[in-house]
Amino acid sequence: MTDVDPIALAVFLFFFLLVTVLGFLAAKWRRGDTLDSLDEWGLGGRGFGTFIAWFLIGGDIYTAYTFIAVPALLYAGSVVGFFAVPYTIVLYPIIFIFLPRLWSVSHRHGYVTPADFIRGRFDSRPLALAVAVTGILATMPYIALQLVGIQVVLEVMGIGGAEDASWFVKDIPLFLAFAILAAYTYASGLRAPALIAFVKDTLIYLVIIVAVFYLPTQLGGWDSIFAAASDSFDAFNTENADAIAAGEVSGKGAIPPGAAHWAYASLALGSALALFMYPHSLTGVLATKNRSVIRRNAALLPAYSFLLGLLALLGFAAIAAGITVDNPQQAVPALFESQFPGWFAGIAFAAIAIGALVPAAIMSIAAANLWTRNVYKAFLKPDATPAQEAKQSKLMSLLVKFGALFFVLGLPLELAINLQLLGGVWILQTFPAIVFGLYTRWFHRHALFAGWAVGMIYGTWTAYNVPAVGDPDSHFGSPVATVPFLDIDIYIALTAFVFNVLVALAGTLLLNAMNVDGGGDLTSPDDYKADAGDVGVKDLPLDEMAPGEVAKGTP
Amino acid sequence: MPDSTRGSRNTRPVWLLVALLLAVAIAVPLLVPLYDRATPTFLGFPFFYWFQFMLIPIASVLTYTAFKLSQAATRHDRAARGQKPPAGERGGVS
Repeated sequence: MTDVDPIALAVFLFFFLLVTVLGFLAAKWRRGDTLDSLDEWGLGGRGFGTFIAWFLIGGDIYTAYTFIAVPALLYAGSVVGFFAVPYTIVLYPIIFIFLPRLWSVSHRHGYVTPADFIRGRFDSRPLALAVAVTGILATMPYIALQLVGIQVVLEVMGIGGAEDASWFVKDIPLFLAFAILAAYTYASGLRAPALIAFVKDTLIYLVIIVAVFYLPTQLGGWDSIFAAASDSFDAFNTENADAIAAGEVSGKGAIPPGAAHWAYASLALGSALALFMYPHSLTGVLATKNRSVIRRNAALLPAYSFLLGLLALLGFAAIAAGITVDNPQQAVPALFESQFPGWFAGIAFAAIAIGALVPAAIMSIAAANLWTRNVYKAFLKPDATPAQEAKQSKLMSLLVKFGALFFVLGLPLELAINLQLLGGVWILQTFPAIVFGLYTRWFHRHALFAGWAVGMIYGTWTAYNVPAVGDPDSHFGSPVATVPFLDIDIYIALTAFVFNVLVALAGTLLLNAMNVDGGGDLTSPDDYKADAGDVGVKDLPLDEMAPGEVAKGTP
Repeated sequence: MPDSTRGSRNTRPVWLLVALLLAVAIAVPLLVPLYDRATPTFLGFPFFYWFQFMLIPIASVLTYTAFKLSQAATRHDRAARGQKPPAGERGGVS
């Protein structure tokens, strides 16, 4: 889009290569160490003091979601754009409630994935398979969001084609992002992400602090930033009044009007319920050393929401700085380019790109290992050798990334956050089996499966049928749809979730009335309260699942 | 904080209080009509924005209180079952 700034590019390449090479070398260098020490280093900073553990967790939270996708929503004037803040507020009290039970039962029985738990609790192979496959599928659009993050950074730096170039040239930044991710995951594997954490997180914090505290002062303070955004949205709405009335264009705003309240609240709640169903999030939870750590962290982690909220507002800062980009995802990188000298813009670009790359690598590895453990070994080849398993994981990790690429290319990318929200539509359908299952065995295994199927089909079908505003023939245009029989717009994930639960309830009553075998249950009530050091509580082989700097709840 | 002299008395009220604190922390941020307005502004932030920023420390305090209460309740529950104190508290202050 613009000319290449050689200084920004050189600084970007320097830090990007430094971190990658460092990670690679460090991984080799530490290979002689025991797994225990790696585990300690990687999983939640077990051996670290509170401050350093916080520092590392925070570095994981700021991904392309926070740097690119959320600010893009605000830049684009989406009235629900700020939902990420209530999302990250309600997230922690929610996980406070159910995650300790999952921690306990997992440590009693050696479960390292939700599918493991479902298999033991409900004695149902199909339900466990459904949960595993959903985890793999839902991770793909989430990785796609990170790919978009790297892509827009490359575009803003001027790498890639102009708007009028052929599709291939235009998509060069995307293919580059993909190639970087694939090479990175392959070369660095599981160990490097943990080892580069300090460098990566220092870069990220540096950029965040400068961006949210220094930048606003350069733009006349927050009041003039809000005023500029509000004026810009008003001007847009006046200019496009006819098109907005005709439904060809969305009106813009900084505060959700009454009609968008349900959408705002349901996006926040749906995202919060969904997050810890993702395979990559759960590993970090299980890695904590005892069940009360989860609850203590739930009280401390909201501090990150503050910076997340301020980062989101960079979307408005970009408007105040006069940034005009067609692709709203470019707003923050373009803001950095326009407001900072080349060397600092280069650092910021590197921070955003690495901040997208590392979680993408962790997610793809978590999904791949989920495949190997809960699909390949459980169904296809129970007697697989370790070498065969490793090969499956590598192959699947690549396939998951191709899946992500498919989502980037195949979906309308007006707003990249829709990718993550589509993943949420799917992953939330595993919630009833997993979370209700932590409390009660009342639900019938086949009813939970039916509920899952209904939720998946309804959610996918509804999302498919939502066109982007102004393009009636398009699909997957918005994560929000009108609820059947009601005149309100809600995040599709939650509507599908409600149908899912209703089917599970009705199905359970029906199947019990018909005396259909509900299967066994390998767990017992006291499993759900067990703590570290109790009888039968064991260490989990988490290092094979998604070690490295596991995303302990990466939004 | 209650100490261990309370013994094995029923912790149900404590758990209800924990549930109540968490319910408030979850429900209030989702009640958009509470804060969907621009005024009064604070430090240049419209009400809609600063109110949600303010909810962050409030939710954090509620959750932390719930954590402390749950810790005490868990200690009593475990003592009543004849188990050791929770893992995080063995050998001193957690």
